[in-house]
Amino acid sequence: MKRAIPVLALSVAGLVPVWLYSPGAAHEGELTEVAAPENPQQQQTQAAPQTTSAAPTTTGAAPKTTGAAPTTQQQQTQQQAQTRNVSGPAVNTSEGTVQVQITLQGNKITDVKALRAPNSEPTRMALPILKQEALKAQSADIDTVSGATATSEGYKKSLQGALDGAR
Amino acid sequence: MSVRRVEQIMGLPISVDLRDGDDALAERAFAWLRAADAQFSPFKPDSEVSRLDRGELSREELTPDLVEVLSLCDWYEESTGGAFTAQVPGRGLDPCAVVKGWAVQRAADILREGGASTYCVNAGGDVVTAGEPEPGKPWRVGVRHPDLADQVCVVLGVRDGAVATSALYERGRHILDGRTGKPVTGLLSVTVFAEDLAIADTTATAAFALGRDGIEWAAEQEDCEVFIVDEDRQVFRSPGLPVHIC
Repeated sequence: MKRAIPVLALSVAGLVPVWLYSPGAAHEGELTEVAAPENPQQQQTQAAPQTTSAAPTTTGAAPKTTGAAPTTQQQQTQQQAQTRNVSGPAVNTSEGTVQVQITLQGNKITDVKALRAPNSEPTRMALPILKQEALKAQSADIDTVSGATATSEGYKKSLQGALDGAR
Repeated sequence: MSVRRVEQIMGLPISVDLRDGDDALAERAFAWLRAADAQFSPFKPDSEVSRLDRGELSREELTPDLVEVLSLCDWYEESTGGAFTAQVPGRGLDPCAVVKGWAVQRAADILREGGASTYCVNAGGDVVTAGEPEPGKPWRVGVRHPDLADQVCVVLGVRDGAVATSALYERGRHILDGRTGKPVTGLLSVTVFAEDLAIADTTATAAFALGRDGIEWAAEQEDCEVFIVDEDRQVFRSPGLPVHIC
């Protein structure tokens, strides 16, 4: 199944623009502008989906196509609320027949599912969408540390060494 | 009864924080790790890996454990187009990148099979956890900040799971691109959360070996959630990553 994922992802990349093309498709960036609140904290929350849409995805084409047709604010609100499933056509690939279903919330893909994949049962695919953010530093209360402490000298000076009470 | 113990095995400080087991159980886990080191280290002339590399063993003569390790190596090598490899051209067979996570996961399994349900095993920054250190609270696994050794850049809340980080700091540029034999560039650190440390650790190392291409590759891996920092200090994070709000 794992080897089929790149094939499925490529199929999705080709099919998503077709599915997403509808005259009512909303532009997320605009929603943020229209709804720009005065409260800074609220603004941050509102801005989050915009960041998500800018993230790189294996579907690649999706962020571009979402901007295809600007509409009125009212239509956008409706689009945001709507959840719908769209099944793509069965596509013959060298690996076998592939058919995927995407779940859209407004014009955002929230799930991708393979209805038909070569040599496998219907299966849920990992959402290939990553959130992007700036690197932050914090000194938090933790139980353990992930991150290489390869040398014994480094370990003694490391956070993990301190947590283990190493001398 | 609880046990806290640190031992240097496979060149790594390995910490066991066992909350519901005794020293004898912890010792069984450590004994397995020492045995795994003796069997799989390419730096020990008598190890099974060294003997295979010298042609003293055929593939048919290998133990099922080494066959499992090598098949994991092969799978990731194929999946990354050779960027991840146990056999860098001009060097001996070195399955260490798979052995570490695989062996530490089995050490954790020994604790579980011995009746423990609450523990945290940390092998050089690769972590397996089980249960809750306090009722209702997950293990808080900090991910080391790539630039600041005494700070973390995210904290994950993990009950039964594994977290591995592959990074450049400390040991320097120790991960080579199997396609070129040269040190990899593009990423500062790759953290992978998965159910099993063999998967988390190998996925992190393989993604790192792929450089920037590793970002999307890792995100596509089944049942893996990622936290990746690139050289521009930009973070790429899976929506499903179990971030702990401190």
